Amino acid sequence: MILLDTREFDHPLPLEMAIKRFKNLSEDEVLHMIHRREPLPLFEIISKNGGRYLSIREDENLWHIYITRSENVKLEHPYV
Amino acid sequence: MFNGLSLDQAPPLSVVIRFFITVPVFGILLSLIIFFNPHEVLIPTHPISLASIHLMFLGVITMSMFGALFQMQSVLGGRPIPSALGNAFLIHLFLVIGILSLCGAFIFSLPELFIIASIFLGASILYCANLILPLLFGGTPHDTLRGMRLALIALALTAVLGIVMASEYANSSFSSVHEAVRTSHYSFGLIGWIAALIIAVAFQVIEMFYVTTPYSSWCKRNAFRIIAASLLLKVLWMFTHLPYSWMFDLIVGALLSGFIFTTSKRLNQRKRRVSDVSIWFWQSGMVLLSLAILTYGAFIGSGYDALQSVALIAFALFALAVILGMMGKIVPFLVWFHLSSAGYMDAPIMSNIIPAKRAKGVFALFAITSVTMIGGVFCLESLLIGAIVGGGMFGLLLLNLIHALRLYRDTLIHGKRFG
Repeated sequence: MILLDTREFDHPLPLEMAIKRFKNLSEDEVLHMIHRREPLPLFEIISKNGGRYLSIREDENLWHIYITRSENVKLEHPYV
Repeated sequence: MFNGLSLDQAPPLSVVIRFFITVPVFGILLSLIIFFNPHEVLIPTHPISLASIHLMFLGVITMSMFGALFQMQSVLGGRPIPSALGNAFLIHLFLVIGILSLCGAFIFSLPELFIIASIFLGASILYCANLILPLLFGGTPHDTLRGMRLALIALALTAVLGIVMASEYANSSFSSVHEAVRTSHYSFGLIGWIAALIIAVAFQVIEMFYVTTPYSSWCKRNAFRIIAASLLLKVLWMFTHLPYSWMFDLIVGALLSGFIFTTSKRLNQRKRRVSDVSIWFWQSGMVLLSLAILTYGAFIGSGYDALQSVALIAFALFALAVILGMMGKIVPFLVWFHLSSAGYMDAPIMSNIIPAKRAKGVFALFAITSVTMIGGVFCLESLLIGAIVGGGMFGLLLLNLIHALRLYRDTLIHGKRFG
């Protein structure tokens, strides 16, 4: 699991940081992004480029996003 | 709540860029007019002054705001603009022809050009309002969308009043309510269209871009109601010749002062204190808006004409500051976003699309232009320097936009696709 906490970064840097890591993900790796809002544009880029994601809202300004390129890895949030 | 950019809804890059890239071209033309006619530009009722004012407010400010509207409607409204490519092409073309005709009509005193300008500007603005306005109703309620509605309605009214005035100029015959029409025209244009749209944008981007606390919900809910009510009552007062119409200016001035205070406070208390040119532009914009309010208030009190000129120039520069700041942020994002979503692995990173050095260059030239243009009201040499530096600023902006587009095109042609 690769952790990426982007809560303190100005938009749109978090999207760029997440996509950079997404491109370098190996087959079974999962990227865990923590962000202050739901990054909808990111989901579209990931979906259109063969990736999958799970987006969980923990609080008003706290989102957990799990991203993988694998079709087999199960995406889950530990507290759900 | 729908709060992000949806690729399926987002218009093609060319829809937005065609408006943005025209901005520096009109900016350079404006700089040339000021440079070669400094005396005339400073006389508020002189035709060359009127041409310059319209070149700034239509060619530079409205042109960029139309591009932004096409993007924002898709982003926030969640409903795509139908046939965005074709509609943007027509609206942009009509706007360009209309602006050139209007400026030509003022400069060469040609009545026929006023008629052509009325047709094309009216067509462009009313068509744009008619296209986008219905999409802003009926969806998810959003404070920024409310501001966009008010801005578009005010713009349409500005255009209608402008057409009335253009027909007066074409016939060289002015009605008894000409002054009321003129005041309503610039009040709707400056406050209803420009200020309202900038406030609407600020409500959305300040929090999102700079990780600040959100604006208060009271402020977001009521700002546009107060602006709309003040403008309508002011127009009613003007047409019925009632006294004390300045009290509505006072209300708008108080609201804008509140906007400056809350925005500056948020920018100063942002969580991540990283240097960013777009923040400098927002901060400069707030200083310029404060100057515009103070000098306009002083003009109302004293009747000293130079203060009115300072207020107008400062207001235009405030809008330009926000536009330049947002353009520098949005253009790299759109280029990166469209390339990344199309699967290009080697899409350039945003900081390389408009390099920081060049973005800072635009800001430095903007700062010098602001000081010299405002100083130019009192010293002609300063105005000449302002025109030269302003031309340079728009030239650099044009180069930055061309550089971004070139990177986009090169990646499309030579880039490696993902997967």
